[in-house]
Amino acid sequence: MVAEFLAFLNPATGTDNVLSFLLSLIWIAFLMIFFLYPSFGQRMQLSYMLRDLEKKLNRLKAIKDEIHRVTVDTIKRVGRPEKDPTPEIDRLSEFFIIQPESMDPYGLVYKLEHILETGERTYENEVAKIAPHATEHQVKSLTNLVEVLRGINTLYRVVRHYYLLGRKTSNIYMVLQIQMVLPMIIEIAESYQQAATAFSKGQPIGDGVGPLVAAKLADGREKERYEIAKDTIVQEVEIENRKVYVVRAAGPGGTVGRPGEAVKQLIERLPENPKLIVTIDAALKLEGEETGKIAEGVGVAIGGPGVDKYKIEELARSRGIPLHAFVIFQSITEAITPMRESIAKSADVVIEKVRQLILEKVNGGETVVVAGIGNTIGVGV
Amino acid sequence: MSEPSLVIGRGKERFQEPLTFLKCLECGTENSRPFKEADYVLKVVEDEKCPKCGSMKSKIVNIYVPEKKTPK
Ligand SMILES: [Zn+2]
Repeated sequence: MVAEFLAFLNPATGTDNVLSFLLSLIWIAFLMIFFLYPSFGQRMQLSYMLRDLEKKLNRLKAIKDEIHRVTVDTIKRVGRPEKDPTPEIDRLSEFFIIQPESMDPYGLVYKLEHILETGERTYENEVAKIAPHATEHQVKSLTNLVEVLRGINTLYRVVRHYYLLGRKTSNIYMVLQIQMVLPMIIEIAESYQQAATAFSKGQPIGDGVGPLVAAKLADGREKERYEIAKDTIVQEVEIENRKVYVVRAAGPGGTVGRPGEAVKQLIERLPENPKLIVTIDAALKLEGEETGKIAEGVGVAIGGPGVDKYKIEELARSRGIPLHAFVIFQSITEAITPMRESIAKSADVVIEKVRQLILEKVNGGETVVVAGIGNTIGVGV
Repeated sequence: MSEPSLVIGRGKERFQEPLTFLKCLECGTENSRPFKEADYVLKVVEDEKCPKCGSMKSKIVNIYVPEKKTPK
């Protein structure tokens, strides 16, 4: 049978030149496809892109499932709940916060503050409920962990949305847009995965460099300590006869505290205005820049939604207090993953710089406020 | 079109465990060990022996992921 077929195809033995006839037929078919179906090339490209997207979407899903597993395991281990916390965790991972309406910007900051505080409190209470045996600090770190889960969940849902929409509409431009940003998204997702590990174990993260500087500045010199706003403490220390009020979130649980409200409350209580307000925070480096590089400037170094920054700026302006800032550069990945050596090392350099600044700008007997901004997980007092 | 190496290649530098640096409160010797849960900076540890003087009291002064040493 095979031999007969081969003989049939062979130009020497076949009746006509069947092989060349078949070949031309294929060529004509190809040509017809491109004539009658001009977007054929694009369709091919689209299907390649969709396949690529699908692969990365699966990777995202794997990361999401891994973070989910870590979250459930940690809550079971630390919180020792009586029943399976999975449904509650799933519910919390879909939790949302609606931004306030900005059509009328008057009082917007306080509206935002109110909504964020409500969200934070609700979240913390919910986590405390599903982890009844966790300590106060552990609840805060677990809350961070559930927030990471919520972040990756949102990321996954958005990418899946574009993938499915692109497939449904065969719209190459829709797919192109998500494909362009996907490498960055994957990178963020991978840092979330590491962040989840850090939060589940209570390891200090790169963003914690602000509280770390504050902790080391006050360590061994502390005269008095009190809570001034939710999760935020003041440590009174003296540096060469200058009174220094160190403001930071109370560790070692994972929280950023309320530095804005804390500085405001503190200064309103003080008998006289401080000479200086110094803020220390982690800042996003540009690609190619060195991790742990220190820069100094003026203004309030606080990231996030802007409520804390606004409060300190407003207060400093009304009282004419100069604002100084130190930032420690790091990438977004380094900020939420366990602290790198270079960042920890720059904390010591910043402490020295803050000391120098205080000695230079503040006279003996005067006061200064130093605020270490960031997530204080793994940094105790 | 896809770059599997980009995604997979990054995998090997993941999950570097941080080290905990303890400073003995008696003699000031600093030594490190892998991070353990419930460690935090400025925590006073009372159940680990100082390798130099044998004191049981030490304080955690740092927790970080050491930089990879470039092979020479
Ligand atoms: Zn010792």
